[in-house]
Amino acid sequence: MIAVTGLTTAMGDFVLRDVTFAVPAGAYGVVIGPAGSGKTTLLETIAGVVPAAAGRVLVSGRDVTRAPVNGRGVGLVYQHAYLFPHLSVRANVAYGTNDPELVRELMARLGVDALAARDVRSLSGGERQLVALARALAHKPGVLLLDEPFSALDPKRRSLTRRYVRDLHRTWGMTVLQVTHDFAEAGLLGDVAVLLDSGRVLQAGPATAVFRRPASPYIAEFLGAENVLEGVARVSDGDRPEHSRGGARAMEVVCGPLTVHAVSDSDPGPCHAVIRAEEVVLSRAEQSTSARNHFEGEVTEVASYGAYARVTVTVQGVPLVALLTIPSLHDLEVVPGAQVHVSFKAFAVHLC
Amino acid sequence: MSADHTRSRAWPVGVGGVLTALASSVLLLFLLVPIGAVVGRGTSDGLAHLAHDTELRQALGLTALTATVATLLGVALGTPLAWLLARRAFPGRAIVAGALDLPIVIPHPVAGIALLLVLGRDSAIGHLLAAVGLRVVSAPLGIVLAMLFVSASLYVSAAREAFARVNRRYESVAQTLGDTPLRAFRRVTLPLAGRGLLAAAVVMWARAVSEFGAIVILVHAPRTVSVLSYDRFTTYGLSEAMPVAAVLVLAALIPLIALRALRADSVWQGRGHDA
Repeated sequence: MIAVTGLTTAMGDFVLRDVTFAVPAGAYGVVIGPAGSGKTTLLETIAGVVPAAAGRVLVSGRDVTRAPVNGRGVGLVYQHAYLFPHLSVRANVAYGTNDPELVRELMARLGVDALAARDVRSLSGGERQLVALARALAHKPGVLLLDEPFSALDPKRRSLTRRYVRDLHRTWGMTVLQVTHDFAEAGLLGDVAVLLDSGRVLQAGPATAVFRRPASPYIAEFLGAENVLEGVARVSDGDRPEHSRGGARAMEVVCGPLTVHAVSDSDPGPCHAVIRAEEVVLSRAEQSTSARNHFEGEVTEVASYGAYARVTVTVQGVPLVALLTIPSLHDLEVVPGAQVHVSFKAFAVHLC
Repeated sequence: MSADHTRSRAWPVGVGGVLTALASSVLLLFLLVPIGAVVGRGTSDGLAHLAHDTELRQALGLTALTATVATLLGVALGTPLAWLLARRAFPGRAIVAGALDLPIVIPHPVAGIALLLVLGRDSAIGHLLAAVGLRVVSAPLGIVLAMLFVSASLYVSAAREAFARVNRRYESVAQTLGDTPLRAFRRVTLPLAGRGLLAAAVVMWARAVSEFGAIVILVHAPRTVSVLSYDRFTTYGLSEAMPVAAVLVLAALIPLIALRALRADSVWQGRGHDA
């Protein structure tokens, strides 16, 4: 496990301030944040490469805040690999282990066995990342810190490598904390998500909660929520105390010309309604469904991304974005200028 | 700055180009012609002298030996300091770095006088050394110390640069793989900085070989090649000094050529470093 409490680190003018989060033993954590938010500094502080000015770092239940780097049981893979340039690929992978069989197996599984005798300076960026990953894994650390380790890999290799690391993480019971810019990757891998910005934690917790229930409109937009509508929330007229469920109640959010129905435990007043594009359903005819939110609008933009399309529908001047598969797009004949019906459930609306 | 701003450009043309070429040529000629004249006129005589001039052979042997000992001392004592200056922030680091320039900028006879003051027979340290049977004045030890004094700073400065060029993240990675800081230094830092350190040692050796001012104050005899060339000049004139001077120039050229070969073959320093 990794538990960081009130961690503060200064690196020149940049300060990582009062960072607190935990990744349970054997869990896979992801750190997300814009460039310069302190992600690499956070990993380096946990590894002990950068000293902590304040706060505590617990690794596998042990306080390692003042422990030397080699006494923490933490592996670190940098985005830029930092392979030792005076050693061959094989010597790099074998650097921290005396187990040649493990070296051979890791190199084979990561697809770098053919490069064993190569000079590391002749490798491509992706090959370097794979060798750096093999080198860190060969040491069998209890906690593995990965700083965008797959960023230079082609999509196929990235997917295979991601799966292999996830397998090893489960098999070895290793706790992993990975920095990524890729929200899909974060969603696929992460049990725990930590969102960093300007050296501070904006939100940390179970990945599903961070992605589905962002704490602020800034976080929602940063995490790629396409529909973030500013408005004023009030309790629905028809809401009665007996309809409350765990504090949640039916609410209405007046977002300019649109009134959006939501189920939330938020207080009435100014807020933002967040609706993820994959929750928005389009149809050509009005349909009777259980969804509380129904609007009619005009398709103003269709952007295709291979297997899916991002469709913008303008409803009374307010753009709403929906994600559709390409077959759905063709079946519904969704093209710019088409009139469509937009619907989503009240439960799909998150208020923050 | 874009790559275009740093890349070497074509030969300059126009008035500016002519002036640049003229100024460069004048300086290069001023530096190389006298050395070329000594080498050209004295090399054959100098090499012939080596065969029968016992005093020159002894001076050359003494110079090479004392310069080597001074360099080994400089490497042993200067490498930790160079590492500290490159890797650690500590109070007074800028003062230490500045103090290292002093032996380079003060006149070398002054350096000899300073050493005589501290290590001479009448000094406390001189007494102490004499008590354990070590003599600095008019002894090879004095030559070694004079050479060390004037050339160690060159080694420390160049070694510091060599360490600074090694990205410290290599050491960090090595430590996450189980190395202690000392083991990471031995397995990673030293091999990566090795060529730079060797080049620094070569520069120090060459500087030590050519030292005259500080040595002649402390040790007039036994004579190094530089002192011998001065003696021959003042006693017998230019014709007798020339062969000795040529041998001295050749002795300094050997490490310079070796250094150029090292740099040309540089694999781990500079552009090809990060992987």
